[in-house]
Amino acid sequence: MTTATIRAGSPGRRRNLAQYVFVAPAVIVLALVVAAPLLYSIYLSFQEYIITYGMGDFAGFANYLAVLSDDFAHVSWVTLKLTLLCVVFEFVIAFGLALLLNQPHLPGRSFYLIVLMIPVLMTPVAVALMFRLMFNPSLGIVNWVIGLLGIPPQGWFGDPSLALGTVVFVDVWHETSLMLLMLYAGLKAMPGEPVEAARIDGASRLQILRYVTWPLMKPVIMVTLMIRMIAALKSYDLIYMLTQGGPGKATETISFYAYRLGFRFLDIGQAAAVSFILLIVVTLLTLVLLRTMREN
Amino acid sequence: MVGESRWVQWVSHLILGSASAMVLLPLLWVLRTSFADKVVAYQMPPQLLFAPTLDNYRDVLLRFDFGSFFLNSLIVALTTTAIALLLGALAAYAIDRFRTGGPVMPLAILATQMMPPIVLVIPFFLIFKQLGLADSHLGLVITYLTFNLPYVVWLLMSFFRRVPRELDEAALIDGAGPFTVFWRIVLPAALPGIGAAAVLSFVLCWNEFLFALMLTGQQTKTLPVAISSLVTQQGTAIGAVCASTMLAIAPMVLIYFAIRKLLVAGLSLGAVKG
Repeated sequence: MTTATIRAGSPGRRRNLAQYVFVAPAVIVLALVVAAPLLYSIYLSFQEYIITYGMGDFAGFANYLAVLSDDFAHVSWVTLKLTLLCVVFEFVIAFGLALLLNQPHLPGRSFYLIVLMIPVLMTPVAVALMFRLMFNPSLGIVNWVIGLLGIPPQGWFGDPSLALGTVVFVDVWHETSLMLLMLYAGLKAMPGEPVEAARIDGASRLQILRYVTWPLMKPVIMVTLMIRMIAALKSYDLIYMLTQGGPGKATETISFYAYRLGFRFLDIGQAAAVSFILLIVVTLLTLVLLRTMREN
Repeated sequence: MVGESRWVQWVSHLILGSASAMVLLPLLWVLRTSFADKVVAYQMPPQLLFAPTLDNYRDVLLRFDFGSFFLNSLIVALTTTAIALLLGALAAYAIDRFRTGGPVMPLAILATQMMPPIVLVIPFFLIFKQLGLADSHLGLVITYLTFNLPYVVWLLMSFFRRVPRELDEAALIDGAGPFTVFWRIVLPAALPGIGAAAVLSFVLCWNEFLFALMLTGQQTKTLPVAISSLVTQQGTAIGAVCASTMLAIAPMVLIYFAIRKLLVAGLSLGAVKG
């Protein structure tokens, strides 16, 4: 399409038409691959459908009522604990490291950056396997190392009281990088003058952090926290690889619960209902996230 | 003053160094174990010096056929990325420049990208059985578009925003058609962004687990699924697991070193800027 093409109306009108042609392919594809399965899933959540028996009757809200049981309260609580613990630890560590990395004259900065970014690119499966190996009660290096310090060997992922904490540790190892990256980018994009002015006025490092950097960084921090929180609410991969929700149900998240209902108990109706509840929560948080971004 | 800043620097290096060690040590441990034979791999207290062997890598590649899983990952990731870039770039350009779809559009895209995969994997599982798409590359590409296409659109929107509007407006006034403006002017100007989006989209596909776990079979297993099944099949075949883990990470690390700057810009932009 060049200037030689026959003109249909004014350039303004062509531009108007063109924008829809540009957007159409993506929208059509997304409607087919996202909207259609999503609608089907909502339909399933109102159906009595156990794979081995085939599609049953319309179930109304029976699936929702069935899944909103003790188990759901439990898995929601686990998901919430996991999310909050991960987000808090990851934020504190990432923000601290980002501040250190953002110091004006820091030899070795690029070395630190390279190393600290590596986990971002690793598949959760590889991360999980690595730590399963290291936290293995009898063959893992971790129990040997703490043995050197005189601490008795632990069950880690197999110990109901330690399992969630160990999962959080692995998640922190894996996901802090991404937060660090976002926060560091935010710090670098921050205007330099206010900090400089405060320094000239004799403000201490802590005062600068509290009264200059923190307020300026707040929008970036909010967005980073929201993004990470939404991702953590969906936790599945690490749980599947590390604990399968165990021991017992100690580390079972909402996503894993939906998976277990659907693919272990083959109750598609209930699995769809659980996943749809999770979707509503995530969508609401996404709305908040978008509003936060707009306010920037 | 000088004394204080030296002290601060010393503490900084101590903290940053410890954090780096926390990242590197587990990786080095897995790397070391991937070269260990069965006896050494299981030995506790661990032996640090031993004659390295390539048996684990040979095992993983020949006996467990990881070459073909590697290829599956590559095919699916490349195809998805190509489609997502093609459709995504066009859409992102229109949305950024003409606000196509109004204020609902960014929300719809972001919400789609944030959607928990477990929501979609259930219907896909049933639909693919009906359509015969289970255990096929095409099926997996379809599911990967669900998170990749919105991601690429979102990312490219922020890259296109940085291409000055005057560039395309001048060209439009000169009589160039909208597609020409996009193809000849905006796209080249946003090329680093396109590159970053391509790499990040590839990484996302390469690392995906849930869809691949539920929707692939022996023919189309991707690398993460193959590694995870290695664990359950083999009990604790430590050496093989370590070697396969290294094989899955290696391409990502190579990509990373090749285009680090681009990637950092892309990751942070896509995430932070609205």
